[in-house]
Amino acid sequence: MRAPLTLLLAALAAPIFVASSLSWGPDPSAAIAAQELVHRNGGHVGSAICRDCHEDHYTSWRRTHHAQMTQRPGADNVRGVFDGRVVRYEGQEARPFRDGDRFLIDVPTTNAEAHGRRIAEVALMVGSRRYQQYFERQQRGDSVAFVRLPILWHIEQQRWLHLNTVFLGPDDANWHAHAATWNENCIFCHNTAPEPRARNNAARAGALPQFDSEVAELGISCESCHGPGAEHARAHQSPLVRYVGAGDGAEAAAKNPSRFDQERAVSVCGQCHGARLPNPLARVRDWFHSGPTYRVGDKLLEHVTPIERDTKVLSGDPEQYSLRFWGDGTARLSAYELQGVLASPCYQQGTMTCQSCHSMHTGDPHGQLRPDRPGNQLCTQCHETIAKDVRAHTHHDPAGSGSSCVECHMPKIVYGVLEIHRSHRIELPDPARDAETARPHACTLCHTDRTLPWAAQQMQQWWGPKFRTPVQRADRAPLAVPDAIASLHAGDAAVRAVYAAAIGRATTAPAATDTVAQRAHLAVAMGDGYPSVRWLAQRSLQQLEQRAPIGLAELLHGIDSMAGPQPRRDAVFATLDGIAHKAGNRLMPPTTGALLGTDLRLDLPAVIRLTDLQGRNVISIGE
Amino acid sequence: MNERAPRIALVTGWLLLAFSLPLGLTLEALHAWKVPVYLGSALRRELWTLAHAHGNLLGILCLVFAALGARVGGTDAQRARLARWLAIGAVLMPLGFLLGGVMNREGDPSYGIVLVPAGAVILMIALFGTARLALGRSGEVDPA
Repeated sequence: MRAPLTLLLAALAAPIFVASSLSWGPDPSAAIAAQELVHRNGGHVGSAICRDCHEDHYTSWRRTHHAQMTQRPGADNVRGVFDGRVVRYEGQEARPFRDGDRFLIDVPTTNAEAHGRRIAEVALMVGSRRYQQYFERQQRGDSVAFVRLPILWHIEQQRWLHLNTVFLGPDDANWHAHAATWNENCIFCHNTAPEPRARNNAARAGALPQFDSEVAELGISCESCHGPGAEHARAHQSPLVRYVGAGDGAEAAAKNPSRFDQERAVSVCGQCHGARLPNPLARVRDWFHSGPTYRVGDKLLEHVTPIERDTKVLSGDPEQYSLRFWGDGTARLSAYELQGVLASPCYQQGTMTCQSCHSMHTGDPHGQLRPDRPGNQLCTQCHETIAKDVRAHTHHDPAGSGSSCVECHMPKIVYGVLEIHRSHRIELPDPARDAETARPHACTLCHTDRTLPWAAQQMQQWWGPKFRTPVQRADRAPLAVPDAIASLHAGDAAVRAVYAAAIGRATTAPAATDTVAQRAHLAVAMGDGYPSVRWLAQRSLQQLEQRAPIGLAELLHGIDSMAGPQPRRDAVFATLDGIAHKAGNRLMPPTTGALLGTDLRLDLPAVIRLTDLQGRNVISIGE
Repeated sequence: MNERAPRIALVTGWLLLAFSLPLGLTLEALHAWKVPVYLGSALRRELWTLAHAHGNLLGILCLVFAALGARVGGTDAQRARLARWLAIGAVLMPLGFLLGGVMNREGDPSYGIVLVPAGAVILMIALFGTARLALGRSGEVDPA
């Protein structure tokens, strides 16, 4: 009897041991759910539970910028260099430094006159692709708020920038102009299932708003696009459900946006990639308490009203919304992609959804375009006849950027996060419309040495008289001046930013050796009153210098777009002098009409006449 | 079967198998029913899988030693000593992996993992000892 009993005890030991240690030991999923800011309301479970079964999808999502949209700081995910070096802007300074595992920034206090300083500790981070923003934790009574700190780390540029220099606005000495509160701003679109839980304490005059905010997960995770997972996970826990379809597993299937109808499919991305107001507006109270009412699988427009150019502003700046759109209603700020898609014939008359071009689990995480349809195949999956003879449609070299569908039909005319992005309104270029609505034109974003009437003439020749010749520009700049140059000086800040970025691109039509005039005008734009325009102009000059050097690389590298007015002026004139002295035997001579003489000196009076057209209205477009 | 060496190896081998096979079954069940507390820790899953695999393989090794141990030569006392080393090593290694996955942190096993290298060293002593005896005996058989 002893031997069988011993064997039985040995056989029972393993399951008993495993069960005991699992019930007494730490539970990773429960530990995540117990973290500050995390809720498990509404059937949300968090991505750790999804990973248990969908390891591959989890891994493919983890590498995306969605996954890293909001993070707690740690040695492995803080991108900024906290080395104690000082960051200066508008006469004040910040000093990011590290104390062990803590990331700290020595910043001026909000009372600038007192020149007080304080140490802020980074408690939350937003962004992971272009730049990383830092938030400090503020205890407000028995509640907590996270407030944005005034400097951010630009990942591409590998440098610190002040917040005032990355939004589309003029220089501003107020260091805390963009001290947004995460709980009532970022929480909505940079997290999963946000619940701001703003307390109704507005009656307490002067008191800072209080929040008990929670999210299902920091960042954009599985449940943002597939819906709450608790029911699905519970129903599929049994292998009988998974393998033989027993029980209610089918009813508890996770939502898959690629199987939605067109409207529901674009709703998934549009819940964040489409600036919006609650519909009806009275729902705003729900939003600030329990979050947006849209759930994956719903029709978004039954919950929200997308903000358009003519959307009425209830309080504050009456131009708050209209400034975010070009004159024809096309968005000129990022996070309005939904509006663009909804206005596109490909959506209205076709079957296009976001997933027609984008993939969340495959391909390059930058842009997340479908890898199975590279280049023009994104468009020719529907427009098959064009694919058969590309040159017949584009009248450009089929291998060049002039035959890239998106260059003409989705031009880069959208400002966001110190970059210019593609418009998501898929449409025809139209020089007369663009001249009349002060909108950048697709042709002259590449042909930076050409005018709008030239573009119209080409289009009429190729595609017929439906394209009108522009008779006047909305900014009243002469039509005889190349559009890129006229826009760089006479446009409003958004136009100037778009062309400042465009001129340096490798896809532009003039060879880099044929851009002496563009370089001189970019040098002037480096003195722009808007720091974002200055930075984009400087970057374009550096790109041109890289492709066709004239010996200005060191000078351009040393220019700081955040520097004060005098160093900026010095930089402009040093660059203009450098071009005048060094470009002569390295670059082609300027074309006529480009406001640059044969001596490579700018026609400054003409340039000033153009810049005077900018008007005195300050535009400041928040993102 | 009156020798001590095969007796020690047999008991250890069968007990290891009696423990490790149900352990594998248990782990499969945890996978089948998608038990989050188990699946949530990749390190624990790896350690317990290693415990299951080592337990079974070393159990079989003990049984092989019990069956063929007499052929390696040496005295009964020498083989019994080797069998004890083998048994200790064979038990410590899977036990170390198993305990390493109990109360472990996200990135590291718990302290139980120290039994693994200890068991591995003891196992190697047993195997080298066995090999030495076997080589010595083969030398007797074939002096050339």
